[in-house]
Parts: sequence; structure tokens; C-alpha cells
Amino acid sequence: MYRVRIAYRQEGPARYVSHLDVMRAFERAARRASLPLAYSSGFNPRPKITFAAPLAVGMSGCREYVDFELEKELDPAEVLDRLRENMPGGLVPYRAQAVAKGPSLMSLVQRNRYLAVGEAPEGMDQETVAAGLERFLACGEITVERQSAKGLRRKNIRPGIHSLAARLEGGKLYLTMELKAGSAGNVRPDEVIAALGRELPLLPDVFVFLRTALLGGDGRLLWDMKGDVDG
Amino acid sequence: MTLLERILARVEKPARYVGGELNAIVKDWRRVPVRIAFAFPDVYEVGMSHLGLHILYHVVNSRDDALMERVFAPWTDMEGEMRAHGLPLFSLESQRPLRDFDVIAFTLQYELSYTNVLNMLDLAGIPLESQDRCSEMPLVVVAGGPCAYNPEPLAPFLDAVFLGEGEEAVHDLVDTLRRYGRADRERLLRALAQIPGVYVPRFYRAEYAADGRLERVVPRVDGVPVRVSKRLVRDLDRAPFPVRPIVPYLETVHDRAVLEVFRGCTRGCRFCQAGAIYRPVREKSLETLLAQAEELVRHTGYNELSLASLSTTDYSAIKKLLETLVERYRDERVSVSLPSLRVDAFAVELARAVQEVRKSGLTFAPEAGSQRLRNVINKQVAEEDLLRTVEAAFRAGWLRVKLYFMLGLPGETIDDVEGIAKLARLVLAKGRECGVPKGRLSVTVSTSSFVPKPHTPFQWEPQAPLEVLRERQRFLQDRLKGKGLVYRWHDPETSFLEAVFARGDRRLAPVLRRAVELGCRLDGWRECFQFDRWLQAFTAVGVEPGAYAYRKYRYEDVLPWDHLGTGVDRDFLVAEHVRALAGEITQDCRDEACVGCGVCPNLDIVPRLLGVGKDVPG
Repeated sequence: MYRVRIAYRQEGPARYVSHLDVMRAFERAARRASLPLAYSSGFNPRPKITFAAPLAVGMSGCREYVDFELEKELDPAEVLDRLRENMPGGLVPYRAQAVAKGPSLMSLVQRNRYLAVGEAPEGMDQETVAAGLERFLACGEITVERQSAKGLRRKNIRPGIHSLAARLEGGKLYLTMELKAGSAGNVRPDEVIAALGRELPLLPDVFVFLRTALLGGDGRLLWDMKGDVDG
Repeated sequence: MTLLERILARVEKPARYVGGELNAIVKDWRRVPVRIAFAFPDVYEVGMSHLGLHILYHVVNSRDDALMERVFAPWTDMEGEMRAHGLPLFSLESQRPLRDFDVIAFTLQYELSYTNVLNMLDLAGIPLESQDRCSEMPLVVVAGGPCAYNPEPLAPFLDAVFLGEGEEAVHDLVDTLRRYGRADRERLLRALAQIPGVYVPRFYRAEYAADGRLERVVPRVDGVPVRVSKRLVRDLDRAPFPVRPIVPYLETVHDRAVLEVFRGCTRGCRFCQAGAIYRPVREKSLETLLAQAEELVRHTGYNELSLASLSTTDYSAIKKLLETLVERYRDERVSVSLPSLRVDAFAVELARAVQEVRKSGLTFAPEAGSQRLRNVINKQVAEEDLLRTVEAAFRAGWLRVKLYFMLGLPGETIDDVEGIAKLARLVLAKGRECGVPKGRLSVTVSTSSFVPKPHTPFQWEPQAPLEVLRERQRFLQDRLKGKGLVYRWHDPETSFLEAVFARGDRRLAPVLRRAVELGCRLDGWRECFQFDRWLQAFTAVGVEPGAYAYRKYRYEDVLPWDHLGTGVDRDFLVAEHVRALAGEITQDCRDEACVGCGVCPNLDIVPRLLGVGKDVPG
């Protein structure tokens, strides 16, 4: 079994596509590209295509990852070329490498890095922003409300905010943040912006979000954690 | 962040509104003189499942001098946002307002989508009535599709109606626009009325007698045909077929590649409008189908290929076609599917060929519960056939069988309804007899309500009253209780409105307008359908809906669609109606003698069947 890891961008109209639909789009592209996909066994065989982390609807991603398991060895460059020719607009594979069989992509993701860009309110200056950020990060507890199946739940997101920085430029506010990922303690960037609104006069619904990196626990890019494959 | 982006962040399934799918075509507006918006009056997931959209999109966009973009009915949340922020309805490809197009082309698939047609025009800021679209709004609003065969309830809103198949007529539309431009609307509409198959409602006048009966619909200007007859494609092997259809990101209602195997149907079921309006049958050759299947699979990447038609298992070379496709695509895990099965053992054999592993469920449509009533509707399925068929299915490993019936068919009695329950129990017993485990065996009965449709032998028949339909549904609810039995039914209120508008005339137009003002839209969606608002609209306009749904026409009555033709002779429909009432069946025109419906001589065409008079492969 051969595993090829693909790095891709999700942008333009594709940012409105849900994770489930992105999965199907890759599956169809792989079939159009005649990749020798490996399938699960059983009554309903599924191609073995696995993703690093779902991207929320509405957000773009510039370093997203997907692993393809193939029945035959194929040069990763060839896989990349064939996929690129067959993707719908907005899903853009740009790098490929062979990876060893190892832990799943999803289990490797510990942190997400995001960039949020939005209109800065009239009259906001760099000092106000810096002071607001400082007050925000000094809070020992930052609670947000989340809608779950059991109703509204309150949650402290402060431990999941690893870093947060801001830059004001041309009337726009650029926020970069590194947030905890995974099934427990995951923090969403829109929640951070909404909570930050308590310290800064922000307009939460004018922000666009870009996921810029998926990181392991040690802060390394997932891409660099390729295991023990030669080359 | 643009207004649209801000709105998209707040609505459900924003991918419905942004386009950008595989095989979508975005053209440079500056280089293309004729711009058409294909408007599907339902949500994206429904519209993208419609083959006609893909065909016309392909045909128009193949021309250098024309473009076609898509627009669908927004869901209620999106409509709310658009209205709140003054964002006019826009196309998916270029995100331009509909007002910028030369033509808005609606497809009328279903009577309950009429409110969406009006609501979409309103959302686009386009005046609803043809007469109000003047030089400042020079675009033309056209419509086609099965409901175009009686577009009278929509007459004031439509500039031109295209009857029949659109592959060739849409070229005439583009050519006419290029030649006449749209600055002089009257001149353009006159020119459109010269295209065969095109009906321009405003050039016709409906006249009513003192008692309210329709007396005639006649031309009120010179030079337009007294009777407009449908267009059709003679040879499907040569007709354009979209082998690079748009592949949506979103999961659609029919999320698979669609290969049209043939058009038309030879069975002659008397309730079926599709069976009447798509005559005669025209099969594609095996070579065409295999070549198109290959391209479809290569260009879409779908894992399922559906063989579409009104009755796919009737295709002359179906066995050979299925075996070849299943064999060819097995290794790539592309499965082949049949949309419906006829009731015979051959169909089960075919189903076995396509569902080698998964044996989910099989669906059959006996349509009526007794032999007597099946003869009335000309559905030639005998009880023994059905039992033999399900036996073959159970023995082959299927666990679930679904049976479709109609309630309220002409002359239906409670014994016929009882027959549905009896049949379901016989099928269940057959399953037990075949050793299907009790816990897994299931027989589902699904009933819809009969709607008399224009251009069918039952066009003169009244619909069964709402109370009768409800009572018969309750009857079946009682009779279909017990382990292994499931009963599902359609709301009779929607069928009632379908009947009103299917056989409606121009006097219903104000009702549609009023209903939309009262908030009726997306009426095909249970969560949106508001019957009380509809009744309010009828009352406000002073129209009695029952007068349309429950009217029994006499043969000498003028019908609102008499000036529109499918090619089938009216005498044939009368003869079929008489035979129905006498319980006499009419043969399938595929393998028996010609039944004399008139389509072939009237339209100067012959049925195209593979190997007629020769050995049929497979």
C-alpha cells in the first residue's frame, strides 16, 4: 500500500463547500484522474482518502492536507499532476510527497493557525488594539457559549488560545492566531473574534477567515512530519 | 467583505448560490451577444438533478454567440437576507442580476413551482406581467417543460412558451434574438411566435360564455398559428448530449451521472402525461450509449451511472447494455442503476446484474390495487406477475420491496383500495415463504393521489374529493398495520392544487399573484406549504378551486389547452377514455400493432426502435 500526501488550497467558491462535500469532490477528482485508489473492504467499499482536519464552511485554507492510499506505487509528482488537471476550481493541490504508513493525519493535528481580516472600526489605532489584546490575553478565563445537542453550553476557550496578534493596516485589522485543534478543546477563530469584541469595538460579521497552517504538538507543520519514508 | 459574502456567512448551504462547480462554464459577456439565464423554479439540489438543464446548458454554451447561466429559487433564509439587503436575484456563473440577461428561461416541471416563478421574477426586480415589461426592461421571459402544455395559469407572466423538446428550438430562440434584438419588444415577440412550437400567450384571447365556461382561445392578431404543436428531436443518436455535465459540490437529489437511454414510452398508461407528451419512442443505439457512458464516467467521476428514461427496462438491448456497463466499470467501482423496474422476472434478472453486492430494496409500481382498475388505467400488471417478480427478488436476496399506488383513480371503489392492502400482504407472505428473516423483511406501500393531467385520456376526469382521498388514506393506515408493513402517503392538499393548476385557465393568474403576496412559495416543500394561505388567495380573488379540480368535462367542452398540441389526436384520447371506462386495455405499441394515437403521421416521424424486424441484441 502506498500513501501520498497532498497539500492543497481551498479558496474562492470552494470555501462555501462543507467538509463532507470536499471529501466527495476529491474522490471524484481521483476517479477522473484514474488514480489507482485503494478501497476499504466490506459491502460498501470506500476509497481510502483521509483528511487532516475539516475546514468550517465559509473559511479558506492555504495549507490543507489529504492522504490518498493507492494500490500501486505512483510517483507523487504524477499524482499531483493528474489531480491538478481534474479538480474543480477552488480546490488547488500544489505539493505531493510519499509518506510512510503511520498515525492518521487527523491524529497529528494539534493546532490550527488562522488569519482573520476585517474592517477596522472608524478611528481605531494601533495603541487601542494593542491594549485591548493585552487585556484580553490577561484574562484567566474567556467563556463562550456553544450550541450543542444538549442545549447551550458554556466553555472556557482561554487555554486553547496559544497565541494571538494584531496588525492594523489600511483601515483593516489583521488578526493572526494559533488555536488548539482536535476533538477536545478545539477553539474556533470566529469565537475568538466574538469574545475579543468585549475588549475591542469590533464588527464580528465583517471578518473573513483563512486557515494558514495545521501544526503538530511541537508546533511543526504537518507537512514536515513525514515519518520514516526515504527521500 | 462584500454584501454577498456577509449574507452567505449567515445562510444554510451557501454553496447553493456561488457556482464554481466542475464543468460549469463562465463566458466573457463582452464577447457574447445573447445571454440566457436558465431559471429553475426550485432549490439548487432539485434543479441540478434535472437532465433538461444540463442538455440546454450544453447546447447554448456550445455556441460562440450565446451563453447560458443558471439561477435557482433561493431557500427562505436566503430570500429573507436578499430582501432585507436589497440584493436582487443573480446568476451563479457571473453573479450578475437577472435583469442584465436577454432571456430568462424557466422550466415548468411541476404545478407547485409556479409561485417560485413569480417570486423569482419579483426577487429579480422584474415586472411580473409581460405587458409591464416595456422598453426599460426589454428581456423576455420564456418557459418550457411538461407544464408548458397548459401554461394558461401563467399566461400573463410569460412572453413566450416553448412546447416540446428544446434542443433545436433553443437555437431558433438565439437566432431570433440575434436577428431582431430586443429593443422593439412587439417585433421580437412577433418573430418568436413564428418559430414552430412557440406560443406567445399575449397574442391569444380567451373568451368565456356568460355561465363562465371557456368558449375558445383564439389568436387576436394575424399571422400566429391557431394551434401550436410541439417540437421534437427525430434522432437521439445525433442529438447533443451533455457528457460533461456540471458536477455539483453539494449533494443533489439525484447525485449521479445520468445517461438518457431513450425518449418516449410505448406503454400507454392512461394517467401518465409524460407517456403522452414525449411520444413517439426514440431509442439511442447501443454504440451511442456505450460511447456516451464512457465519456460521462471519465468527465464526471461519479461512482454511479443511472440509465434514465420513462421505462428503462423496456430498452430493446437493455440486457446487453447493462452487462457491458457493469463489466466495464466494475474495477473502478462505478455502479450502474435503473431508476424504476417494470413488474416481471426479467426486471429482477436485470436488477441482479446491477446490484451484485448491495441488495437494498426494489421498487415496483402496480399503481392500482385490483385487476379491474389496472385495466382501467392500462397498467398491464397481473397479480401473478407481481408475486412471481417479488418471489424472484426475495430468492435473489432482496429484503425490502416498495410498492407504488395511486389513490382516487377514475372509478376507484373501496374494494380497489382494499386490493392494495391485500396485495401488500400477499407480497409480505411471499417474503416469509421465501425465508426472508422476519426482522428484516419489509414491504412499503406508498400512495400518491391521482391528478388528471392535460393531453391524457383522463383529462376530462374529475379528481377525487379531498375528503375521499383522506378517508382512503385512513383506510390504508388501518389495513397496513403489522410487522413488516410500512405505509407512506402524500398530502392530498398538494395534489388538489396540482389538479387545479394542471387543468387551470387564465383566470387563475390573479390567484397565483395573490398567493405569492400572501407568502406562498416553495409549495413542493412540506415545511413551506401553507394550504390555508392558498385558500385565502382563492377567496380573495373570488375563484372556486374545486370548480377546476372536480370538474368533469364533456367531450364537447373546450379545454384551456385545446390550442396547444402534442401530436396525439384528440379522437384517440376520447377512444382511450371510452375504453378505460369499459375496462378495456390497449396494447403496447412497441411490439403490437400501431394503436393509432396519431403522433407519427401528425409529426411526420416514426418510432425508432433498435432492430425492428431484425434480431435485437441481448
